[in-house]
Amino acid sequence: MGSYLRYLSENSQTLLFYAQQHFLVVGYSIAIATAISLALALVLHTNQLTPPSWSKRFRISSQEGALLLASAALTIPSLALFGLLQPMLGLGVTPSIVALTLYAIYPVLRNTVAGLSSVDSAVLEAARGVGMGPVRRMWRVQLPLAWPVIVSGIRVAVLITISIAVVAAIINGPGLGKPLQDGLARLGAVDSFNEVITGTLGCLAVAAVYEVLFLIIQRFTTPRGIRV
Amino acid sequence: MSETVQPMTDSSTRTGQRPMISLQGVSKTYPKQSKPAVAELSLDVPEGAIVMLIGPSGCGKTTTLKMMNRLIEPSSGRILLDGDDVTDVNGDQLRRRIGYVIQQVGLFPHLTIADNVAVVPKMLGWDKARVTRRVDELLRLVGMEPGDFRDRYPRQLSGGQQQRVGVARGLAADPPVMLMDEPFGAIDPITRERLQEEFLEVQRQVAKTICFVTHDLSEAVKLGDRIAVFGPGGRLAQYDTPDEVLTNPADEFVAEFVGSGAAVRRLSLLELSRLELEEVVISSGGAPTNRHPVLAVNDAGRPERWLHLPGSGDPPPLVVVPLSGTVYDAVDVMLDGRAPLVVVVDDDGQPRGALRWDALVGDLRTKGRLP
Repeated sequence: MGSYLRYLSENSQTLLFYAQQHFLVVGYSIAIATAISLALALVLHTNQLTPPSWSKRFRISSQEGALLLASAALTIPSLALFGLLQPMLGLGVTPSIVALTLYAIYPVLRNTVAGLSSVDSAVLEAARGVGMGPVRRMWRVQLPLAWPVIVSGIRVAVLITISIAVVAAIINGPGLGKPLQDGLARLGAVDSFNEVITGTLGCLAVAAVYEVLFLIIQRFTTPRGIRV
Repeated sequence: MSETVQPMTDSSTRTGQRPMISLQGVSKTYPKQSKPAVAELSLDVPEGAIVMLIGPSGCGKTTTLKMMNRLIEPSSGRILLDGDDVTDVNGDQLRRRIGYVIQQVGLFPHLTIADNVAVVPKMLGWDKARVTRRVDELLRLVGMEPGDFRDRYPRQLSGGQQQRVGVARGLAADPPVMLMDEPFGAIDPITRERLQEEFLEVQRQVAKTICFVTHDLSEAVKLGDRIAVFGPGGRLAQYDTPDEVLTNPADEFVAEFVGSGAAVRRLSLLELSRLELEEVVISSGGAPTNRHPVLAVNDAGRPERWLHLPGSGDPPPLVVVPLSGTVYDAVDVMLDGRAPLVVVVDDDGQPRGALRWDALVGDLRTKGRLP
């Protein structure tokens, strides 16, 4: 215990830097994934992108197709995905963010779709009946009502990406994967176990920060009338 | 003081005869269906009238209503609103000029009651003070104290209260026309009765042109100035006053739809003042005539008892009903008092005539089903 505290204090600058990197790489990926998912869900909610002949042949709508692709992306082993992206995108931050974004899309997309379609049809009919156009209906009615569901999707995505981001270290990605993998690689050597513990606890700390952040976001962005 | 916005009407010409909504040969065939939901329908809704659209499910009454504000686009035909052809105008703009109230209410759960009511005025760009004034006025109109309810959310309200807000939202921009799709259908019977009364009271104040879909014949008879009975296949089977629909069903279908109980329902539409009452002889003890019943009155001229009833031995018990009542009331007191006839009195209690059970059966026979 004493030696761990000594390790922490000796390496606090570096470790804090890794944690910060981890936090940011997750943040960027989630932001991009959210933007993509929201745009995709909004478009797919009202439009069929694929021609009818496709939907008929495969018996799925464009929306279901997009979800299927996103879920397929989520099932690719993370180790493999980082390896596969490396020839195209090289090493470092870019392939890390791309991979994490791919993983984050599914939970956000799924919840956005679910949230939008969970809006009471009577409310939507009333919205049409009072003369709201499609855009106004989306912004004033559907999105606010779906918002709590969307935010919880983003939270899930954050938790998934925090743990996957650790793997990014194999392509020289940023974050807490670095000390973790260093430690694992030379297990038994001086401070190696401390590094593993730190990588793990660091992820928990980053997750805790995000959780607090989202509690605040949810609190302030959920309309009062639908707060439970 | 009331806000009035009348983009389309000139209130001085409210004659009640001019059609406010006019459907001309309107048909609707849904995609992938061979039979039309509404076929070649022509219907004029007079200004200031409540027209009830009624019929069995799947008869096209809701489709017809939704074509009036183009929530459903007609396949063919024209729709005229106050003389203007609105078949091809922007649907959203059109719907802001027409009030719309639905059975499931559909209040926006994330908005306060005030914001819900204010939706259309805000879209129309009213300034804030005017919107606030209008919201308070409307909440008061539907019997909800603005101070108590303005800042609440829909989920904090009972079903009946929610529908009042729904009606207020429909009336918000003071549209000349209101479309109501079974607004009281999902509300418990007691509250429904009260809401219907309030609805008529509100209508007396605002005098809108109202189309009202219902599947409840009692509601149609109670609220409607006219009833449009829809038959299968989206055919308009009859369009007439409640009285006519109940008395003279246009065809087999309407007769069957109006069905048993039509005669009884009709009793409550028929005011005693509109009946030819039987003459009554007022007597202080003179010789009984053979033709008319003889009534003894007190010093104030009010009926006291029957002295003689032609064709029967003992004089029957005396029952009285006010002239302002309906035949339904007369039947009620006759049944209650086990009397074969009833004295109809005016506001001062003076006898104006009598109504006999026999005459009732003879006069009001529609399908020969009187209890």
